[in-house]
Amino acid sequence: MSAGLTRRTFGGVLASATLAPKGAFAAADVEAARREGALLWYTTLVVDQVVRPLIQGFSQKYPGIKVSFVPGPAQEQTLRITSEARAGQPRGDVVDGAFSFFPLNAAGLIAPYSVESAAQYPTVYKDPAGLWTAHFLGAAVAAVNTDMVRAEEIPQTYDDLLHPRWRGRIAWPDTPTLYGGAGVVGNILTFMGRDKGMEFIEKLAKQQIINVPSNQRVVLDQCIAGQYPLVLSVFNHHAAFSASRGAPIKWLKLEPVLVSFSTISLIKNAPHPNAAKLFLEYNMSEEGQTIYGASGYVPVHSKAASQFPGLRPEDGNFKATIITPANFNANQKDWVDIYKRLFA
Amino acid sequence: MAPSAIQLADSGRIGKTAARATFLRSTAQLCRGNWLNILIAAILAMMVLPPLWTLVRTSFSISNADLSYGGLTLQNYSELFQGRNLGRAALNSFLFALLSTATSLLIGGVMAWLVERTDVRFKSLAFMTTIISLGTPYVLYVAMWLFLLGRSGPLNDAYRYWVDPGVTLFNVNSLAGMVAIEGLLWSPLVFLLLSSTFRASNADMEEAARMAGASVIQTVWRISARLAWPAILALALFIFIRNLEAFEVPALIGMPGRVEVLTTEIYKSMREMPPRIEYASAFSVILLLVVSVLLYLYSRVSRQAARYASITGKGFRPRPFQLGRWRWLASMIVLLNFFVVLMLPLGALLWTAFSPFVRPIRLAGIPSLTLSQFETVLSSPRYLQLGINTIIVATAAATLTMLLMIVAGWLAARRKAGGNVIDQLVTVALIFPELVLGVALLELSLAVPFPFYGTLALLVVAFMIRYMPFGMRYTYSGVLQIHPELEEAAGTAGANTALILRRIVSPLLWPAIASGWLFIFLICAKSMALPLLLAGPDSQTISVAMFSVLSNGQGGEVAAMGLIWTALMTVIASAFYFMARRQSAHAFAH
Repeated sequence: MSAGLTRRTFGGVLASATLAPKGAFAAADVEAARREGALLWYTTLVVDQVVRPLIQGFSQKYPGIKVSFVPGPAQEQTLRITSEARAGQPRGDVVDGAFSFFPLNAAGLIAPYSVESAAQYPTVYKDPAGLWTAHFLGAAVAAVNTDMVRAEEIPQTYDDLLHPRWRGRIAWPDTPTLYGGAGVVGNILTFMGRDKGMEFIEKLAKQQIINVPSNQRVVLDQCIAGQYPLVLSVFNHHAAFSASRGAPIKWLKLEPVLVSFSTISLIKNAPHPNAAKLFLEYNMSEEGQTIYGASGYVPVHSKAASQFPGLRPEDGNFKATIITPANFNANQKDWVDIYKRLFA
Repeated sequence: MAPSAIQLADSGRIGKTAARATFLRSTAQLCRGNWLNILIAAILAMMVLPPLWTLVRTSFSISNADLSYGGLTLQNYSELFQGRNLGRAALNSFLFALLSTATSLLIGGVMAWLVERTDVRFKSLAFMTTIISLGTPYVLYVAMWLFLLGRSGPLNDAYRYWVDPGVTLFNVNSLAGMVAIEGLLWSPLVFLLLSSTFRASNADMEEAARMAGASVIQTVWRISARLAWPAILALALFIFIRNLEAFEVPALIGMPGRVEVLTTEIYKSMREMPPRIEYASAFSVILLLVVSVLLYLYSRVSRQAARYASITGKGFRPRPFQLGRWRWLASMIVLLNFFVVLMLPLGALLWTAFSPFVRPIRLAGIPSLTLSQFETVLSSPRYLQLGINTIIVATAAATLTMLLMIVAGWLAARRKAGGNVIDQLVTVALIFPELVLGVALLELSLAVPFPFYGTLALLVVAFMIRYMPFGMRYTYSGVLQIHPELEEAAGTAGANTALILRRIVSPLLWPAIASGWLFIFLICAKSMALPLLLAGPDSQTISVAMFSVLSNGQGGEVAAMGLIWTALMTVIASAFYFMARRQSAHAFAH
């Protein structure tokens, strides 16, 4: 699963405030979508949390289009889509997850479609060719268990992570994607520069960070359960959600915070292209984005609110490094190599 | 209809020594059921060989970014052998498999013997332990042990509180932790398999020993253990092979502690983006070669077991051992097993299910316990549909597998023509790591000309391939315990193969069949990796939902789901087990 948080420029904020009317999708296309009558979504999102509410909202707005879905991690979804394509039997229409995008695109399995509802999104949120569009944001932050860590010991800057008290007591998700060690490496190299960055990273490697073979949510949970006092590369919206339920967790604004977003795309040769396009429109519209917000995700759309305040750089008042999926893709090999060499 | 012995005599086809010739003739008649051998071998070949071929071919391939095959190459293998830690990983694999096998055998074996062959108390508790722990999804079972033994779990907590603050007594992310948890995970299987062996073993020799004055220990050591020895050894090899290709425990427990085994590489390469199937396949082929050696040993050992057949035509009736003074100690062992294998992880699961978020077991947490997770799970119509799908798939897979394995096991155990080939085919299925099997089946299911991809039928076939070896284990060792003389007598009386299988073998094999069915049913129901990959929109199982909830960190909800699911499985399994016991009492009673 992936989520991304992107920094908005002032201009972007102003532009989004004057949004074009939503649902500016030609009536003819809605008719074509209705005739297709169905669509299949390969999703990496959580079913009860956001997938079902979204489908419910969509079905109410456009009755007669049955939305089926297959949930699963990005790796499984990629295997499905590539196997189907190889056999010449594409079944899926829509796929999400920024990390599924690149291998699938490299294999030529993504179809371009510029989502009209996202017309006013800042350009960093969408692919110029329409191959992907951001549908929610995610900040990968550090978090501490407030029962285990005293207030004065809580790290305030990245340098605080190098303190000897943290040796062997930090954990992060062991994943070669942006929301794991490779992302932390990338963030450091981006804002510190290559030389100072590598120096810092080598010192960080001596802290013997624990690689947990699970995703960001599970690592956060292990922190809450007291397994590790400090964790890196977990999502701030998850931490905020747990904290609201009484969990002893606090997410940290070690600046600059790594911020990126998740993307959603149209699969090439989709069996139901018009229904898929309509669904994409719904996802990016204010109505769809509000559902994302209510489900605990951080929406992209300026008018949709997230469940907890302070998760986006503007309203959370923290500096961010935006690393777009394209950014990551270009640097992935380098950052993953450093991660494997020093930390794995 | 085959000619009877009298007819044969009349037609003058009987040779010099009437009994011997009749025996030879009836054996020939039995073997004339070659059509059955060919049919079974063909079915098995169709199930096992295409994925195997796909696996081998993939291991020698490399795919380009645009999906076209980059042609044949040794690159995957050279990368594998140049891997940093191959030697260490191999050693860890071997140690892990060996020690966890020993642990499972010890726990399961002792329990099986106590329950089946003695008059120990709390027997039903032992079965309950087995059934409930088998019905609990793996991931949850492992997660709960991680919770219990982890740094912040009650064990370490208590040590820090009572003995030495600031010191972690036990690091669960170590080889020891892996061995303990894997051992516990498979002890129910050992229990089920050995209990059907012990149940059918003849107690005459044990009684004779005791009457001659041998103590319990002497009798067990010199008679019981030796009688069961081939079955135990074959089982040990089987579990060893299975543990070599395990990847959940090494991934969930070993990886954070940097303890790597061979399957860790497969797991990691499949988690990369895009998944490196070719590299994973190369690794799997290496495992296959290693395991082939073990399989050869295994078949040699199993063959010796014929000498120890116990169910004969002569007044067979198993009798329980009187433990006398040792009864209380034995009963404590049963209770301890119940507590450790079942109550501890179940207790942790209960705690998690009632907590609003995952937290250590503390008195302070009690006021915030809530029923909300259960309400969420029970009020979801989607979970109901998934539950129904899961039960359909598990029932179909268990039934079809056992039907196939009754015949395959008999053919192999009686060493009919082609029996060896059948044995090899079935056991090869054991070495497919689940993920790799899934990928092969994904490709194959898209290639067939009828709707198969994304259907429940695909899941059923996938489970059949994966769990066939387990079913075979039950029927093979079960058949070995039945002395051939019963079938020969039937053959002499004129029965053909089908009749023999139906009227003689199956009723006597019933305990093994029932245990095998139950095991496969429970293990299919909780299987996660295959459905995650192979399920389509309408063929999802409950484990896919559990994964989704688990990976979203909703530990409480997935614990509630797990508990409800385990309760349901327990009810089904118990009902089945009672039916099975009555059937076997019927078959074995006089």
